[in-house]
Amino acid sequence: MQNLIDFIIKYKYWFTFLLMEGFSLAILIRFNNYQGSVYFTTANSLVGGIYTAADGVTSYIGLGKVNQQLEAENTALRDQLEAMKQELASRHIDTLRFAGFNNLRYRYVGAQIINATTSHSNNLLTIDKGAADGIRPEMGVICSSGVVGIVYLTSDHYSIVMPLINMKSKISCRLKEHNAFGTIEWKFGNIRSAYMTGVPLHVEIGKHEIVETNGFSDIFPPGIPVGTVEGTEASADGLSHLLKINLAVDYSSVRNVSVITNYNHREKTTLEYKADSIMNR
Amino acid sequence: MNHKTFTRLGRMALLLLVQIMMLNHMHLFGYATPLIMGYMIICMETGVSRISHLWWGFIMGLIYDIFSNTMGMGAASMTLLAMMKPYILKLYMPRDIVESFKPTIQSMTLSRYTWYTLSCMALMHCTFYFLEAFTLSDLLLTIGAMTGGTLLATLFSVCIEYIVHTKLEEREVAK
Repeated sequence: MQNLIDFIIKYKYWFTFLLMEGFSLAILIRFNNYQGSVYFTTANSLVGGIYTAADGVTSYIGLGKVNQQLEAENTALRDQLEAMKQELASRHIDTLRFAGFNNLRYRYVGAQIINATTSHSNNLLTIDKGAADGIRPEMGVICSSGVVGIVYLTSDHYSIVMPLINMKSKISCRLKEHNAFGTIEWKFGNIRSAYMTGVPLHVEIGKHEIVETNGFSDIFPPGIPVGTVEGTEASADGLSHLLKINLAVDYSSVRNVSVITNYNHREKTTLEYKADSIMNR
Repeated sequence: MNHKTFTRLGRMALLLLVQIMMLNHMHLFGYATPLIMGYMIICMETGVSRISHLWWGFIMGLIYDIFSNTMGMGAASMTLLAMMKPYILKLYMPRDIVESFKPTIQSMTLSRYTWYTLSCMALMHCTFYFLEAFTLSDLLLTIGAMTGGTLLATLFSVCIEYIVHTKLEEREVAK
């Protein structure tokens, strides 16, 4: 301690000098705008450079740990890759089997609407594909926007489709978000909107909620859009919602459609009919 | 306070007055301003302690800064001159001097005194103008100001010293 005091006393003029210079530089930076800005700019870039260098050193030191992590990640990815390869090999076998289209439930037949009525209460559409193309009554018709209707009658080369904008049309569907089921019906008037009934009152329905097919009928696969909810009203019986639906399909402009063929549908309905008959005996 | 201190105070006041009222308005070639206040430190004898040197330089520089709106530049340059002056003086003063030595033309000869003053003024002007520029981008301009100021201040300092020295001699002869 004494040595330190002696050292300070011996070189006190150096310490005094440093203090005076420090004070001078401090007031230089504090009271001169130009010098202050230059100082702070330089100091910032210097500190930034130091931080960058320190970060580089820290990163370099931490490379061992990063290597270990990467190695572990590589091992996990290799495992996944091997699993994928095996899965792919088995899928390849499936694909060969699939090539026969034996297991496909739904197939699509492209068609064009060649005639349509939209101003009647029972509107109908005519498409240019018929029985010769494998089309049967009660097959679903869709377009890129969503559900168009159901095949009503067929000839060899033409079919008549009952669209949603037909007062006799009823299609089972669901609210996508709530998974609540109901039936779409059309009331004569606006060809861009229909009504959905059967949704329980406890379901809180938001505007613009998507309405889609539920897949129950086997005519449409589940998840094909029908429209969006435009408004909510209470139904006449007071037990369910009456939802006004903005239809996804614009019938005034739709041309290209696809007919969904499900050849198991007839088998299913026959079985259900038989079961009904037995139960009602 | 003794007589020497009063003399130094008077010299300081006079030098600051000349510097602030006259020389600050002199811009040779547009930018070289001589800082004659360094003469205050240059002419201080070696018997004065280093701490006193520093205080005289610092206070004088600070007063100059306050009146010239150059905060910190004058104080820093004068303090540095006060700190380095003994080392510079050692280069030019006669080697056999042991007691207190006052740097004058008479005690050092004109050429030595001029070189000594030039060295001190160069140090002070370099510090002052570097702090004023605070960048190396206008280096030529800064060097020009340093050189011009140093030469002018050295010239003025030597002239003052010569006049004071001559007057003292005349007084002694008259006595």
